[in-house]
Amino acid sequence: MTIKTSNRCMTAAAAKALLQEGLSCQADSDCTPQFQVGDLVRAKVMHPKTYTRLPRYVRGKVGTVMHDHGGYVFPDTVGERLSTKPQHVYSVRFSAQALWGEAAPASDALYLDLFDDHLEVP
Amino acid sequence: MNGPHDLGGMHGLGAIPIEENEPVFHSEWEAKVFAMSFATFSTFFPVDETRHAAEQIPASEYLSSSYYERWLAALELLLAKHDWLTTAEIEARMAQLRQTEE
Repeated sequence: MTIKTSNRCMTAAAAKALLQEGLSCQADSDCTPQFQVGDLVRAKVMHPKTYTRLPRYVRGKVGTVMHDHGGYVFPDTVGERLSTKPQHVYSVRFSAQALWGEAAPASDALYLDLFDDHLEVP
Repeated sequence: MNGPHDLGGMHGLGAIPIEENEPVFHSEWEAKVFAMSFATFSTFFPVDETRHAAEQIPASEYLSSSYYERWLAALELLLAKHDWLTTAEIEARMAQLRQTEE
């Protein structure tokens, strides 16, 4: 376990600020994106018993990188207190038919925010 | 973790009830659970650890719990995991409060 917390009580002022501004999960340092807007990507097939933000129904499916949100800490490792493992997050477009088959409307699509570690070259 | 939280594509769960003029909290205890959990966000537990804790609620319990019941279960799990409180201490306090009410 390498991620330590302050274990100090939150002040009322800090609580108010957190409610108003939210919590930023942006990475402090620059990290190199593994993919570019327009790239085809495949969500990795994986079944970790640990924390992951990669939904089951998208694993193994191919989508398109539509937007690069920038560098963020990686929830899958932060959730285990292992490391912040900063990496890029993308909005990835999956057609509804790629996810649910040809009975799904042809023009529907789902946009998922996924991290570098969730994706591979198809 | 392939837990009960990952509902995408599942059938048979029924329609999502949409309340008109839905209140922020449905009862006072929900507000208290929110406040207690919120006070630990990032100060005691990284938020992702809190989410992961909720996913570790046994599947049958998870699916039959309300939103803030899951928050409470996650908080209790993390308090015990990081040795801030034991489950026995939580149980003892609950018993004590129950007696005060009677």
